[in-house]
Amino acid sequence: MDRKRWWIAPSILGLALILSLAWAYSEYQTRQELGVALENHYQRLFFDVKKHVENVQVNLSKAMLSNSREQNVLLLSQIMNEAYFAQDKLAQMPITHANTANTEKFLNQAADYSYNLIQTHLDGQPLTNEQRASLANLKQNSAKFNEELANLQSELANQDFTIRSLVKEQTEEVEEGNKNIFQATLTSIEDNMAKTPELIYDGPFADQMIDREPLGLDDKDVSVEEAKKIAREFFGNDRVEKVTSFEDGENVTEVVIPSYTFSLKQNDTSRELSAYIGVSRKGGHVIWMNNPRPINEQEISIEEAQNRALSYLSEKGFDNMEPNYYQKYDGGVLINFVNKVENVTIYPDLIKVKVALDNGEIVGFDAAQYYLNNHERDIQQPQLSVDEAREKIRTDFEINSTRLAMIPKGKDEVLCYEFKGDYRGEDFIVYINALNGKEEDVLQLIHNENGTLTF
Amino acid sequence: MDKLKKHKKFIIMTMVLASVFSSILLFYEPIYYLGKAGFDKSIAPRLLYWGSQGEDVKNVQWQLVKWKYLIGDVDGIFGPDTYRAVRRFQQKNGLKVDGVVGPDTAAALGISLSEATPASAQGVNRQGDEYLLARAIHGEARGEPYIGKVAVGAVILNRVRNPNFPNTIAGVIYQPLAFTAVADGQINLTPGKDSIKAARDALNGWDPTYGSLYYWNPATATSKWIWSRKVTLKIGKHWFGL
Repeated sequence: MDRKRWWIAPSILGLALILSLAWAYSEYQTRQELGVALENHYQRLFFDVKKHVENVQVNLSKAMLSNSREQNVLLLSQIMNEAYFAQDKLAQMPITHANTANTEKFLNQAADYSYNLIQTHLDGQPLTNEQRASLANLKQNSAKFNEELANLQSELANQDFTIRSLVKEQTEEVEEGNKNIFQATLTSIEDNMAKTPELIYDGPFADQMIDREPLGLDDKDVSVEEAKKIAREFFGNDRVEKVTSFEDGENVTEVVIPSYTFSLKQNDTSRELSAYIGVSRKGGHVIWMNNPRPINEQEISIEEAQNRALSYLSEKGFDNMEPNYYQKYDGGVLINFVNKVENVTIYPDLIKVKVALDNGEIVGFDAAQYYLNNHERDIQQPQLSVDEAREKIRTDFEINSTRLAMIPKGKDEVLCYEFKGDYRGEDFIVYINALNGKEEDVLQLIHNENGTLTF
Repeated sequence: MDKLKKHKKFIIMTMVLASVFSSILLFYEPIYYLGKAGFDKSIAPRLLYWGSQGEDVKNVQWQLVKWKYLIGDVDGIFGPDTYRAVRRFQQKNGLKVDGVVGPDTAAALGISLSEATPASAQGVNRQGDEYLLARAIHGEARGEPYIGKVAVGAVILNRVRNPNFPNTIAGVIYQPLAFTAVADGQINLTPGKDSIKAARDALNGWDPTYGSLYYWNPATATSKWIWSRKVTLKIGKHWFGL
């Protein structure tokens, strides 16, 4: 009997071995296919980046020579496109941020700067000498970049190197770096880009926009203890049991609005959740507050909530605030308030207040924009009348309301007539500069059951 | 006697090896399905989840009340009761139990989800950004205090506005080697309601980090480079920096 059965176990084992080999082989094949697909994708991105940078370089050279504004607008719009494409594709490649940050910034700013120059051209102004110098600078940089990419391209063709292998190497050996030609080239490009002189212009990616200082804070320094007191009073002295500071890092004062951040433990023992609050180090203003308590069923109306928010604001010392848009979510309603000075709506002075719709409690407050932008303004008299401004807009745009408003433009503000209305069944806001009649902006309003969004 | 012992050894060995192989096979399956389920969700046209409101939610609630999964009002707000009822329904009907009404669950309920916006602005909304950001927050910071979740969302949005980074939310989140939760697929988990709420607060402007661009967990950070950043503040387990 034993003699008959001895082969059972080995054959089961053998069968298992064959099965697992077959399974492993199919896994291996799938892996191979995925790997090749990924590598193809990365190769495509790399060749695309090269091509886009090439186009940026060539178009920059042309733009410097060309003396016609029309031609320049076309060239600059191509530069903008190609630079954004290059940036977008570069950011999809498996390269650590440390190796691309400056390069991405260069491409973003080249695009942003071109857009800015297009606007100057459309305003009828020729290029200044500084602007030409900036273009020359950009060109030099992109030429250097392109040259390095070309070297890399021929190196890649000569050796057996896969871009996807970077993923593994970089996560394991970030600090060592420079392990291969690819990384070495990237580091050299990156170092070169870091030396780019700062571009002086007005756009969302300009250094001046990123490093700007808040305008609405006082100079007085506030200590932690004072800030704790301010936080406690802002939230309601009787409701706070304990105020705890978040741990600061050594560069805490280098953020946009240097602040103390606290969590507030509430008296009410039935609530385990903390509320959070940020108080500025200069002037001791409450920059934001958030109380993430769960909200029960809706008991009060949006109107009621708006009134509560308004009285809350005036209690905190913000008079002349005007409710604008609201957005309902998670049982609360978030209302945007903007400052109003002498009948002019000042959009940059924005405060957001979130009201819980169960009992009308204020559960959120955000005045970061307000303190960033608020300052004594010298509001000019409009040079155009409403009717003159109206003539600048399509006659079939049906206007429902008109008012004067200050809107942000880069780091400046412009005084505009705001026309809210409807065009072919869709809602828009059109802004006409009240000083020179230029159409500054068009916004589309999207309504749904929870509120309004602007795009 | 000896022979019998040997025989037993063989059988035991066979059993052990067979169970090892089958466990390997079983072990591989769930990961594959996790990725797949997540992917299906990310291309879904419209989802109803905790916090959603409107006609569609009413339709779902009406159906759930009819079939006795939900006892309560049909109020058009996706709250805790509706969430639990949806989960019960999904469990009973062999659907993925996640408390989110996607195309599959909607089909099983016998309703079709409408577009949220009127035809004039078809498809223009913020829901996609909201849900993607919520997933990133959930993958990266689900064990963190609420404000730590908002902070992670705020860092992603600060990157969108910074020239050193991609210019879209998806671009920032899916940038290779940027977030571990993206690399290991945790981003495809269904976000909890706190993550969704935190994503909305971050999109609406709350920034507890005051413009920070990086964060790292000192216990798990593998990159030395990250320590060369300027350190701003600590929220929960994460350090934030510029």
